[in-house]
Amino acid sequence: MIDNPLYVAVLDGDARGARSAVEQALAAGADPQDLVSSFMIPAMDEVGKRFDEGEYFVPELLISARAMKSGMELLRPLLAETGAKPVGTVVVGTVRGDLHDIGKNLVASMLEGGGFKVIDLGVDVGPDKFTAAITEHHPDIVAMSALLTTTMPGMKATIDELTRAGIRDTVKVMIGGAPVTKRYAMEIGADAFSESASGAVREAKSLLNA
Amino acid sequence: MNARERFNAVLHYKERDRSPIMDFGFWDETLVVWQDQGLPEAINPDRYFGMDPQWITAPVNVQLCPAFDWRVLEDRGETQIVVDNEGVTKEQGKFLGSIPRHISHTLVDRLTWEKDFKWRLDGGSSARLPKYWADYVRSQSRPDRDYPLGINAGSLYGWIRNWMGLEAVSVLVYDDRRLFDEMVETVTECILTTLDRVLSSGIQFDYALMWEDMCYRAGPLLSPKVFKETLVPQYMRITQLLKQFGVDVVVVDCDGDITKLLPLWLEAGVNTMFPLEAGVWQADPVAYRERWGTDLLMIGGVGKRILAASTDSITAEVERLAPLVESGGYIPTPDHRVPPDVPLANYLHYLQQARRIWGHDLPNLEPMQSDLQPGTVEESTRYAWHLG
Repeated sequence: MIDNPLYVAVLDGDARGARSAVEQALAAGADPQDLVSSFMIPAMDEVGKRFDEGEYFVPELLISARAMKSGMELLRPLLAETGAKPVGTVVVGTVRGDLHDIGKNLVASMLEGGGFKVIDLGVDVGPDKFTAAITEHHPDIVAMSALLTTTMPGMKATIDELTRAGIRDTVKVMIGGAPVTKRYAMEIGADAFSESASGAVREAKSLLNA
Repeated sequence: MNARERFNAVLHYKERDRSPIMDFGFWDETLVVWQDQGLPEAINPDRYFGMDPQWITAPVNVQLCPAFDWRVLEDRGETQIVVDNEGVTKEQGKFLGSIPRHISHTLVDRLTWEKDFKWRLDGGSSARLPKYWADYVRSQSRPDRDYPLGINAGSLYGWIRNWMGLEAVSVLVYDDRRLFDEMVETVTECILTTLDRVLSSGIQFDYALMWEDMCYRAGPLLSPKVFKETLVPQYMRITQLLKQFGVDVVVVDCDGDITKLLPLWLEAGVNTMFPLEAGVWQADPVAYRERWGTDLLMIGGVGKRILAASTDSITAEVERLAPLVESGGYIPTPDHRVPPDVPLANYLHYLQQARRIWGHDLPNLEPMQSDLQPGTVEESTRYAWHLG
């Protein structure tokens, strides 16, 4: 626990409190990057830890991510002015044939909360769209989601397409979703797997040594 | 012993001739894919695969009444954008038997709750019962009914989650707990009023069905604390009413890892877990029985991934579950609708082994005794799990 109102507001999912804490800190001359790295990201790390330990559930993840976002709305323009960079850039999407987005959205929210820039391609994303997005945005990581056993092969098809396009080595590939296992991730040549939204942040940071 | 006697015997740990042979159904695609593997067209799966009469429920509407009008807003080739009967605008595959993607919801706040939903939850509405209700009651009250009959006892979280979307209802719990609690209570009142009329009709129901689907691979979508504070007291009101009318098997359909909610459901009198999704978290009915004892009744638990694996592993799983089946309180079925990557030959092998071991050498693929005919009232009311 960190004794700071911004940290506590994000941890408690208090969006107004987070915004107000950011305003007050900035008025007192705080460094925007320091607010993010010293209070907001550690608060989201703690949220993830509490989720993993069974103390927090989906609602708590969502309101904390919302609090983080409300603070970031004030900080983002200031960070851009200073040229501060996100922890990394992640392209996320649910694979072709699969319309499910709840898990993917949770992961996207938690990644943003963890300081990543997220480019969300939505659902039913084919290998060609993933490839185009990687070429356009040059992300550090591409994260794929699937809810169905029948759509899981779309993950391998995407990895194969990245290889064919000669860009597989330019990104790390992370996968997740209800039927996905670590073993499957290894079988298809993914770099990482996570079984939860909070774990996805941890894995993403680990991939980038962040 | 008929199917009704057998169903009640197994779920009350009494002697029976064999286990009921039941299933959870199939993805729409599965039966089509299986036609290329030799399945005849236009079959009734229950009859073709030789199921005991199963999942027959009274034609009572406990949901939104009237429902929202279903409309197609846009055709996108393989998918379409529709407004469904719950006022949800969603994209759904024309040929995907699974969960669609919600785009927007009619229910967003107190105003829309009051204006568009609350009045549809009048349990006293005459439209909740079919016009042929009196005839139905007469036909189902006969003492020689030989199949188990269920009553839909609704949903306290799953419906509201569908009406609002997961993110909105999750945030509502924190932003306006009073409204969330009020919604749950209003839904409960609607269910109780409807059930009271139905249970008083003279039909002796064998079980009640609830639907929630409020868990996923990481556990519950709602914290057990909120579940206990808001949902458990309302479940108790429903299960107490059911018990007054002799219905002591209350099934909840909930996918995902239910471990954290299971003891709270038991506390609330919801005592039968279905479909015990094995999942990547490797839930196991044998372990559940060891942990929660005989107060817990179970239906399901046969991992669908095993059905897609080798015939040897299918046989091994049927044999592994046999002692639990024999001990009672448990009816094995696949842990969800069978997906199309399960070969027909595997499914038939599973049924053969199930009938041999759990069914005590039942002949293969012969329908169990049943007087249901295609198109009858009884058959038309088979519970649609995916609709809740």
